[in-house]
Order: sequence, then C-alpha cells, then structure tokens
Amino acid sequence: MSEWLESAITRAQSINDWLAPKRANALELLSTTKWPTRKTEAWRYTPLRVVERTKAKSIDDAAIRLLPVAIENFSAIELAFVNGKLDESQLTNALPKGLSISLGQNLSDSEKAQALSAFSTTKPDRHLFGLVNDVLAQDVVIITVEAGAEISEPVRISSLLSQGAESHTRVQVSLGEGSRLSVIEDIQAQGESLSTAFVEYNIAAKAHLEHYRFALQTGTNVSIGGSHFSLKDHAKMHSTIVSFGSDLSRLDTDIIHAGEFADAKLNAMHLLDGKELFDLHATVEHAMPNGTTEENVRGIVADRARSVFNGRIHIHRDAQKTLAELNNRNLLMSNTAEINTKPELEIYADDVRCAHGATVAEIDKQALYYLQTRGVSRSKAQVMLNFGFINELIDLMPNAALAEWVRPIIRERFAQMEVK
Amino acid sequence: MSNTETLLSIKELHASVEEKQIIKGLNLEIKPGEVHAIMGPNGAGKSTMGYVLSGRDGYNVESGSVILDGEDLLEMETEDRARAGLFLAFQYPVEIPGVSNLEFLKASVDAQREARGEDAITSADFLKEAKAACKQVNLPVSFLKRGVNEGFSGGEKKRNELMQMLLLKPKLCILDETDSGLDIDALQVVAEGVNSQRSADRSFIVVTHYQRLLDYIKPDFVHVLSEGKIVKSGDASLAHELEAQGYAWLQTAPAEDELEG
Ligand SMILES: Nc1ncnc2c1ncn2[C@@H]1O[C@H](COP(=O)(O)OP(=O)(O)OP(=O)(O)O)[C@@H](O)[C@H]1O
Ligand SMILES: [Mg+2]
Repeated sequence: MSEWLESAITRAQSINDWLAPKRANALELLSTTKWPTRKTEAWRYTPLRVVERTKAKSIDDAAIRLLPVAIENFSAIELAFVNGKLDESQLTNALPKGLSISLGQNLSDSEKAQALSAFSTTKPDRHLFGLVNDVLAQDVVIITVEAGAEISEPVRISSLLSQGAESHTRVQVSLGEGSRLSVIEDIQAQGESLSTAFVEYNIAAKAHLEHYRFALQTGTNVSIGGSHFSLKDHAKMHSTIVSFGSDLSRLDTDIIHAGEFADAKLNAMHLLDGKELFDLHATVEHAMPNGTTEENVRGIVADRARSVFNGRIHIHRDAQKTLAELNNRNLLMSNTAEINTKPELEIYADDVRCAHGATVAEIDKQALYYLQTRGVSRSKAQVMLNFGFINELIDLMPNAALAEWVRPIIRERFAQMEVK
Repeated sequence: MSNTETLLSIKELHASVEEKQIIKGLNLEIKPGEVHAIMGPNGAGKSTMGYVLSGRDGYNVESGSVILDGEDLLEMETEDRARAGLFLAFQYPVEIPGVSNLEFLKASVDAQREARGEDAITSADFLKEAKAACKQVNLPVSFLKRGVNEGFSGGEKKRNELMQMLLLKPKLCILDETDSGLDIDALQVVAEGVNSQRSADRSFIVVTHYQRLLDYIKPDFVHVLSEGKIVKSGDASLAHELEAQGYAWLQTAPAEDELEG
C-alpha cells in the first residue's frame, strides 16, 4: 500500500457523519485493496507515481474564493466546490419547482435514509479512487428532481481548486420518473493540485438526462473522477465528455442499463499535447433487454502525450435485442505520441446487434503542404484537414451555448499542435 | 514591386532529397513579365526545383540563394512564400477528400488577402469570382462543391490548378507539366488561361515536355535542365530543336561550354 493511501485512510477514520455506514464499508474495501502497479489491468498505462509524490494537501481557507468559468449566453444553477468545500453562497436561493439541492447532512431523516441507500450503488466498487472519494468526500450533495419535473436551467457542478489543493467532491443525482435535467460537471484546477470528483446518476423510468463533463485542466494537475449512470425503463441519457490531459487525468464512466428500452449516447473527445496523459475507462452494462448504446470516442494526440481508452460493453444473457455501437477514432500527430485503445465486447445474449471499431490516422503531410503552397498557414491547414471528426461531436452537443464556448477552445488547442 | 529589375534570382542552388543531391548548381534569372520554359529529361530535377522553391519538407537546400522580388525566399515558411507571390501548379495535384474545393479556394484567397492587409472578401463575391474562374478553365461549377481534386480526372486536376492561379493572382507562376494529360481542347484552355494572365509584372516558369504548348504560350526563353542544372538556354526555337533531336546529345556532350560553342 502507498503512503498516500495510508494517509487517506487515516484521515478518513476521523470523519464521523451521516455517511458513516457507507464510509466504514469503503474503508474495509480499501484496506484490502492493493495499490495498483503496472501489472494492474485498470492502471496498466497510467502510473500512479504522481499521486504517490503529490504535494497537494487539503486547504481550509475561507478567504479563497473561486468562481466557475464564465460562458457567454449561458447561465446555470451553480454548485461550486472550492477546494472540496461547497460554497453555498454561490447557490441560488430560488431553485425551480421540482428541483432540490442539498448537502446530505441537511436532509430530513427520511431523505437521509433514502440518499444513504442510493449512495455508491451506481458507482462500482472496483474503482479505487471511487472508494477514496467515498471515504474522503465530506460535503456530499444530493440533487433530486421530482417525477415529471422538467428543469430547463442546467445545473453546473464545478470542482474548483487553488494552487496545491487537494479536493474530493461527491454529488448524487436522482431524476424522478419522466423528469428532465441537464448537468454539467467541470473541473477548474490550478497547478500541483489533486482532485477526485465523482457523480452518480439514478435516472428513473422515462426520465431524460443531458450530461456534460469538461476536464480541461492541464499541467501538473492530477484528477481522477467518475460519472456513473443507471437507467431504468425507457430512460435516456446523452453525455458529452471533453478532455485535455495533465500529469494524470483519469475518468471512469459506467452506464448501466437497469431497465428495458433505455437509450444511452456518449460522445467523448480528447486533445492531448506535451507530455499529457488522459485515460478514459468507459463501461456499459446491458443488464436488461431492448437497450441501445451509441458511444463515440475521438482523440487527437500530439508530441509525447499518451491517451488510454478502454471501452467495455457487456451484454448480459437476458439483454436480448440490445443495440450497441462503440467507435473510437484517433489522430496521431507525432511519432512519439502514444495511443492505447482497447475495445472489449462481452456478449452473452444471442439476439443483439453490436459493432465496434478503433482507428488511428496520421496527418496527411502532403495535403498540409499543398494547402500551405496556397498561402494557408500550417495551423489553419491542420484545422481544415483534421478538425472535422472532432467538430462533428461538438455539433452533436445539445446545448448550443456550451458548444460555441468549447469549440474555439478545442480548435485553438488543435491549431497549436505540431506535426512531428 | 520593389526596386529591382529581377523578379526571381536563383544562384548556384544545391539541394537534396533524403541525402540524395538532385539540384546541383542551378542558376536562373527571371525579369518581371517574362515567360521561361524549362524542358529536360525525366528525373532531371524539374519538379524538385518547384518543391525546393516552395519549401517542401524534406527538400534540403545545401547552398546557393533564391531571391524573389527582393526577399530571401529560402528563409520563409511555405505559406509565406505563397503570400509573397509564388505559385506552384503541381505536376501531381493532391487530393483532399473532406475539404470542398470552394472552401479550399476561399481559404487560400483569404489567407493571401489577409497577409497583404486587404479586407476579407465576402462569400457571395468570392463565389462569383470562383464561378467565373471555373468557366474560364472550362470546369463545371459543380467542381466547387467536390472535395479538392477528389476523383478529378488528370486533366480536371490540371485545370483546377490553373483555376487556383487565376484566383490567387501570383507574381511568379511555376507550371509543372500543366499540359500533360490534357486533351487538345484543354491544352488551348490552359494556354489561354496563362496568356490571359501574362502581364508586365507577372512571370512564368513553364515546365513542359512538349513544344506544342509553347506554340500557344510563346516563351521568351527556353532552358534545358539536366542532372540538376541548366545545361543549355536559348529562345523559343530551342524547343523545336529539342522536339526534333531529343536529349541523346546530353550524354555525348562532355561539358556545357562546348555545347554553347
Ligand atoms: N524522396 C525522394 N527520394 C529519393 N529520390 C527522389 C525523391 N524525390 C525525387 N527523387 C529523385 O529526384 C530526381 C528528380 O526528380 P523530379 O521529380 O524532380 O524529376 P523531373 O525532372 O520533374 O522528372 P519528370 O519529367 O519525370 O517529371 C529523380 O531521379 C527522382 O527519383
Ligand atoms: Mg516532374
């Protein structure tokens, strides 16, 4: 076991709040978990040295005020965590009808009991840092949408970290039957910081979740997080994940078809430069029949950066008539960059349609040169030639304001990348 | 035009590709308004010259100088050479599926206007110009919507190169075998396209294997490029001579001064 994990466990042992039973369980699991090495499949390409060596520590300074990133033509119900603590002053007082947002400890006893029973049920126990988050996250926030409520204003969950800070944030979202909600998860982190940020979504029958996760933090930041979804009958989700890389940026997503006729769409894009690392482990469990999943993961990897993608689709014996597609496309910008991609299909039902594919393309230097001989700059030419496959996913973002915010940020990052 | 009598001056140029020397002491002077034809056997280095002048990756200049309109061409990035007025019509134009011809043409024109500090042209005005250019080179306007050179026939690709030249209005045009693979009508179209662009401040290097093109485009000079340098120069009549004798004399000729004499 690493020193870092030992200290995390020690710190967790002194916390005593409404989550105590769950925390005790997670502590138990952690105490028997082996610290991952290069032989641990889930961490094979993502060494944890930077966690072992981190200088990030918990900072409890009420004077530090951090704000979510401003986005043109966009407003949201702001759930801002500053260095792991919920900044309640940023949360609007007047929530729309049918939506409630509350710290777990402020819930009534019956609500607490309900929240407790749902806690860590969508997020699988196999995620080591999910367990770390279970034991260290303190301001756990519960978001509930009443059955039938359609909340038009999105909820934005921001994990904001100052220099050198360590933060563990946790949100539990439940959408009542037939309700609608849009949630944005974002991390804004300054250097030498470390965060774990996990959100669980329970999406009841016929409910519809629109989801975004932005992980645009770069540099020496270490971020490990997860978004975990459980879909009941006829529930729908549409998720967009946009990531850059950092010393370590790791995301685990789990989509569980726990009801029939559920529909999941996941579009993920990542652009990595320098020595950055980004690791996406996406698991889809088709436990029930008639579900559909469409997953598009697209990456551009430059310089000495490394991307890791593990896409697992597991179709259980009873999940007949499942339709699942997983597509991974990559653009390799330099011969020192690295792409590790591994689609894993496990199919135990016989009447399903399932497809997967992974491709790695390189930039067409001849076409680049041809454009340059016409006066088009190298960076513009690069965008013209190769931004299309990323742009397609941006076009699919349901929220136009978010798409128009993130599009130039991504395009600019790509334009700056060098062909090597 | 800056204060110089010479538009392009190539002096003692040596260049290599993948460690192999291809250009071996090339000298060429071109004044504004002149048309120079370059002929020579396969593999002589004619296309290589165009790639070196345009700054293609992997083409290394070992020595010598190239001055375009008073500026050191070899110091510039490829896109800046184009913005400085250099245009290369490719012997083998590149296909770019996924980028429409119109988008490609507009990006090229926009980039060059921007570099010259001119206002951007509106999409509507540009479309008009592009359609007129299509007409001039005898390509249906539907070619504007297709991917750049994607699935174009050999002759269509050459006409597309010419269309780019019409829209970009360069100072120095290098046409690398723009006449190869053209039917007889298309040859006239290309010749007319070039002739329509001839002016006192625009010069041409026309690389060709066939004297026929030179019947339409009357060159001021004809040069023979062999083994990386110019071994013979003359007026338009040299093209007729070459057509008649071929290049066999190159092997037997021990030195270029003897040829001159
Ligand atoms: N990448 C390369 N590696 C090695 N040799 C090369 C490379 N590119 C070109 N060459 C060689 O350089 C020489 C000149 O080629 P170039 O294309 O300039 O000839 P050219 O005069 O244009 O001939 P053509 O009339 O057939 O078009 C040829 O012998 C060719 O094989
Ligand atoms: Mg050639």
